[in-house]
Amino acid sequence: MIDWLPLWLSLRLALVTTVILFVLGIPLSYWLAYSRRRWKVVAEACISLPMVLPPTVLGFYLLLAFSPDGSFGRVLDHYFDIRLVFTFQGLVVASLIYSLPFMVNPLLAGFKNLPPHLLEASRTLGKSDWTTLRRILLPNMRPSLITGAILAFAHTIGEFGVVMMIGGAIPGRTRVASVAIYDEVQSMNYHLANRYAAVLLIFSFSILLVVYLINHHFSQSKAVV
Amino acid sequence: MNAPPVHLSFRATKMLHTAQGRQLFDVAFNLPQGLLLAVCGPSGAGKTTLLRILAGLTDTDSGDIAMGGDVWLDHSRRISLPTRRRPLGFVFQDFALFPHLTVRGQLEFALPKNADRSIIDDLLRLMELEELQHRRPALLSGGQQQRIAIARAIARRPRLLLLDEPLSALDDEMRSKLQDYIARAHRHFHLTTILVSHYLPEIFSLSDEVIILEGGKISKQGAPASLFPKDKITGNLRLTGEIIDIAAAGGLSVIHVLAAGTTIHVVCPAGEAANRRVGQTVTVAYRDLNPVICE
Amino acid sequence: MNNARWSLPAICAVALIGASRPTTASNFAGTPVTSSAGNLTTCASTEVLVAAAADLRFAMDSLVAVFSRENPGITVKPTYGSSGNFFEQIKNGAPFDLFFSADVDYPRQLKTQNKTASDVHIYGTGQLVLWSKTLDPARDKMNTLLDKSVAKIAIANPAHAPYGKRAEESLHHYNLYNKVKDKLIFGENIAQTAQYAQSGAAEVGMIALSLALSPAMRQAGGKYWLVPSIAHQPLLQGFVLLPHSNGNAGAGKFAEFCESAVAKNILGAFGFGEGPDR
Repeated sequence: MIDWLPLWLSLRLALVTTVILFVLGIPLSYWLAYSRRRWKVVAEACISLPMVLPPTVLGFYLLLAFSPDGSFGRVLDHYFDIRLVFTFQGLVVASLIYSLPFMVNPLLAGFKNLPPHLLEASRTLGKSDWTTLRRILLPNMRPSLITGAILAFAHTIGEFGVVMMIGGAIPGRTRVASVAIYDEVQSMNYHLANRYAAVLLIFSFSILLVVYLINHHFSQSKAVV
Repeated sequence: MNAPPVHLSFRATKMLHTAQGRQLFDVAFNLPQGLLLAVCGPSGAGKTTLLRILAGLTDTDSGDIAMGGDVWLDHSRRISLPTRRRPLGFVFQDFALFPHLTVRGQLEFALPKNADRSIIDDLLRLMELEELQHRRPALLSGGQQQRIAIARAIARRPRLLLLDEPLSALDDEMRSKLQDYIARAHRHFHLTTILVSHYLPEIFSLSDEVIILEGGKISKQGAPASLFPKDKITGNLRLTGEIIDIAAAGGLSVIHVLAAGTTIHVVCPAGEAANRRVGQTVTVAYRDLNPVICE
Repeated sequence: MNNARWSLPAICAVALIGASRPTTASNFAGTPVTSSAGNLTTCASTEVLVAAAADLRFAMDSLVAVFSRENPGITVKPTYGSSGNFFEQIKNGAPFDLFFSADVDYPRQLKTQNKTASDVHIYGTGQLVLWSKTLDPARDKMNTLLDKSVAKIAIANPAHAPYGKRAEESLHHYNLYNKVKDKLIFGENIAQTAQYAQSGAAEVGMIALSLALSPAMRQAGGKYWLVPSIAHQPLLQGFVLLPHSNGNAGAGKFAEFCESAVAKNILGAFGFGEGPDR
């Protein structure tokens, strides 16, 4: 019988991560798009690093960084009563780092593809940068916003290496669907592993379908008559 | 006659990096209130740069700008008022309309929070946009988009209106109509206006004062009539071509000559064009910036 | 309208994170939890997190099933992996209540580092077998590994899996290591090793007897042969209570249960021999 818990955990992890990345990603990509500081390139490289880093490397360093034995982990544990290893919160933090480039890069491309004078026109109309971002830039970037959210979401659902390193596969907390599938295969419960995999596949495919439909609708309505 | 009070004083230098290499932009002028100034010159001369510096969209290597007693830029004291705090309106060459807002939406966005909304209907009427007010810009023609851009720039009652080659993308009939709109708006709202153009008919018909920019510096300045006298020919370049069209624009005629693979627009008084006809082979010489048919 | 667009994601973020913070009772805050025995439990029940060596995969399931029948309010949640990995994780603060290790050396090390909450209890001896779906290991014994049809031999990773270390020792003992080392593939833990053999990815596997006796392996129709215990160091299996279990009555009860005669029978049935006296 299928245990919905790992699927629910994966869904929650992906949702929480995506929402936070959305809120963090917009100011970050805005800064990357419009800043003229020289060291911006360094920031871009750092943000994209998780894309090329093997997940286990990231997981390993996070394990070292967050372990209660280490100095940072000890501070978290002692003063804030927060543990980031083997907890759901730890997975969220790891996912934020791991999926960040998948949110930032589409947003950055979106900002760069905006007609160049929109921002300036809004300034000449006396609007603050915040108002411009909210009412002019973002509404004209909907496909990028959607793409970023979807990529971050899908990437987090599929996360495995990092979760294995710092998750501990604890049922109900860190045993997400990808880990559960691995586990069931090891137990030779192939039909159960199949079920988890099928649910994930159908779910992910449906999301993609909905997203592409939305995107398609937007580009249709923008077509010149 | 008393000289009108100086309203806008402008002085700026900037090293520009153009396709032709480095060029020093060094311009200074004063503009009395309520006048319409045309800025013209060959491409790359710095006309758009001038507008952008005025608007605070481009920074300078040195300069001062003041309008009506308010300091907008004082480079030596590191004062530079951000664009959004300068009471100006800017009409971009590509209109820069917001794709997701209707015509009315553009104007509503332009208004500050507590402003009187009735100006929106005024502008829609003035620019003949009433029927289009609920459409999005993408569905409208170039001329209509142009009017929206002008209306939007004026909506918040700026003190200075800047127009960057506003009519370059339009056909001749649209051009003369739009010149009308610009003139109307300038008078109706008592604006001080700076218009960048290299199209002589509109310079003649709209402006009170003209500045010619070449290589980043002012080469001539004055009233339109005084800058383009008709007798001296100092032209170095002569081209032979064929007249392909003769059009009327205001009290002038514009003769379109196809020469050397391009169309040259020659401006002359209506009387002179009377004995020209389409298909005629002519020689065109450039005098300063003013092409004149000499044979 | 525009403000609503932003507040909604923000509210969702706060809600979801808030919901995920565990309460001091170390349970899922407000979310019903389904245990492996299928009981629906609520916040009020006790949860016992067990780190179990992979060779206990099926034996532990049976232990938990029997225990849960007698103690419906206590949910035991086993997580399986290699003993060496768990050792590292526990040293780094992994929130387990009990640690069942396939090599008693690991819990003993934890004890010397003062990271345990009880003494180390030995619960049996693990035994190493050769297992194959296609060949009969009992016929050629260790020389089965040299059979021409054997392209891959699965053993657990010797770096951190006790059965893997013992497999390596056995190979050296019979002077086979150099002849077969190119054919070795390493399972992350002994269960994955068994899965490699069961799926045919490896023609022969050196796995735990407890896994060879499991339903899944039996169904696969393989045959096995017990590797003589002189060929390797003994696989003393031990468990210990961890500091995370302090105050968790359910953890203590389960630990007691694992020492009981019932538990010893179950473990015996799965091939875990008696303690060190054997």
